[in-house]
Amino acid sequence: MTDQADLLTQFSNALATRAEAAKSAIVAVRLRHERHITGVVWRPDLVVASEQSLPQRDDFEVVAAGGSVVAAKMAGRDPATNIAVLRLAGSIASPSIAAGEARTGAVALAIGADGTGGASARLGLVNLAGAEWHSSRGGLIDRRIVLDVRLGRREEGGPVLDAAGAYLGMSTFGPRGQVIAIPTATIERIVPLLLKDGRIARGWLGVALQAVAVPDALRESADQSSGLMVMSVVENGPAAQAGILAGDIILSVDGTSTRRFRNIAKHFGSDSIGRKADVRLIRSGAVMTVQTTIAERHAA
Amino acid sequence: MSDAASELAATRRLRVAVHAADVLRRNALSRVVAAAGHIVVGAQDAADVVLADGDSPPGETRPVVALGRVDADLAGALSRDASAGQIDAAIRAVSAGLIVRAPDAMDLGFGAMRETDSRALLTPRELDVLAALAEGMTNKAIARRLNISLHTVKFHVESLFRKLGARTRTEAVAKASERRRHETIML
Repeated sequence: MTDQADLLTQFSNALATRAEAAKSAIVAVRLRHERHITGVVWRPDLVVASEQSLPQRDDFEVVAAGGSVVAAKMAGRDPATNIAVLRLAGSIASPSIAAGEARTGAVALAIGADGTGGASARLGLVNLAGAEWHSSRGGLIDRRIVLDVRLGRREEGGPVLDAAGAYLGMSTFGPRGQVIAIPTATIERIVPLLLKDGRIARGWLGVALQAVAVPDALRESADQSSGLMVMSVVENGPAAQAGILAGDIILSVDGTSTRRFRNIAKHFGSDSIGRKADVRLIRSGAVMTVQTTIAERHAA
Repeated sequence: MSDAASELAATRRLRVAVHAADVLRRNALSRVVAAAGHIVVGAQDAADVVLADGDSPPGETRPVVALGRVDADLAGALSRDASAGQIDAAIRAVSAGLIVRAPDAMDLGFGAMRETDSRALLTPRELDVLAALAEGMTNKAIARRLNISLHTVKFHVESLFRKLGARTRTEAVAKASERRRHETIML
């Protein structure tokens, strides 16, 4: 009995020590309505936070460990990987963080900022550590990390640590409140690009698309069973200028079938901007090809 | 009329700036705003509330009701396919200084690109039928609108139920709207 109690006490003390140490690695990013989210001090003058929860503005304030308030400017944001970088007006002493690899079933400790310079902690497991995946906004995430951890809205963006205190990634919300982590490898890949250009350039046509089945009568001439129907067209965007209309069903772009969207996403990397692309589509029962010029996608 | 009541009556018509990249969406949202008795003003004009489809203009300082986007600065957050009633209620609420969150807007989150199994994809005709179902139309009315036989409408409705895994018309509309929310690709 005594041994068990000791183990539990040791476990508890170890967690409390980790949470205490993590305090200097986080900031609270202040938002309106007395709210905040959490950011990770990536370098002494850089904070990484969750893009989806940051408002569209340039100037922010962060609360560092101990409660000091530091001004910060948006240095770059990438909705496709949900990563935003803030540059601080001053620098914050921060511990160096070692990257860790997520393993299914391993203990995960999620740290959040309390808004006054302290930390909050959540304990759970890595529910699933899987392969790389593509976000709905077209970004490549190096690993799928799903957490069995409850997370408060203000804790989003904080570090997720493993038992050794290594940094597995940044906590954030997936659909329906699912808690996931953006892996450290993805942050390491994206942050330098954001610091260079303020954004990740991606190709853009200016359409909203939904996968549809090609009607039976057209399968033969289309030579495929599904395509992407144009639901709306952005005014003056590349698709609009090429005469693409809502209701058109896009079958392929430069010969790559739209049957699987992730194949198409590869065609719209930063090198695609300014390139001409042949879009094969179905309009009022006929298959036709329209030439468009890929433009650059503007912020979000 | 009491003072309180006349004050309410005076504030009922609000000036609303509608912000949307897609001209069809902008027109549709402007119609919703006007039908609710508000005044649609230009993006740069004085406005009580901004209604934004997706992201609001950077640096916006007026209260914003956003469709399909949630962040803590926003006064109002609704889902992309919010009803006219929800939009009107949200505009009035944020102009009165309240914060509005639709439960389904909170379901947004950073998700994977989801791709429906190709056997469950809807055809353009089925989408037409679905749009009519969403308006609460009967099979007979749908047949008239799409100029097809009643038998064909029934066939499409059954196919929709099967592909969406729905048992009722309401459920089919809800499941299709959820699919649209998660699977619309912006390119």
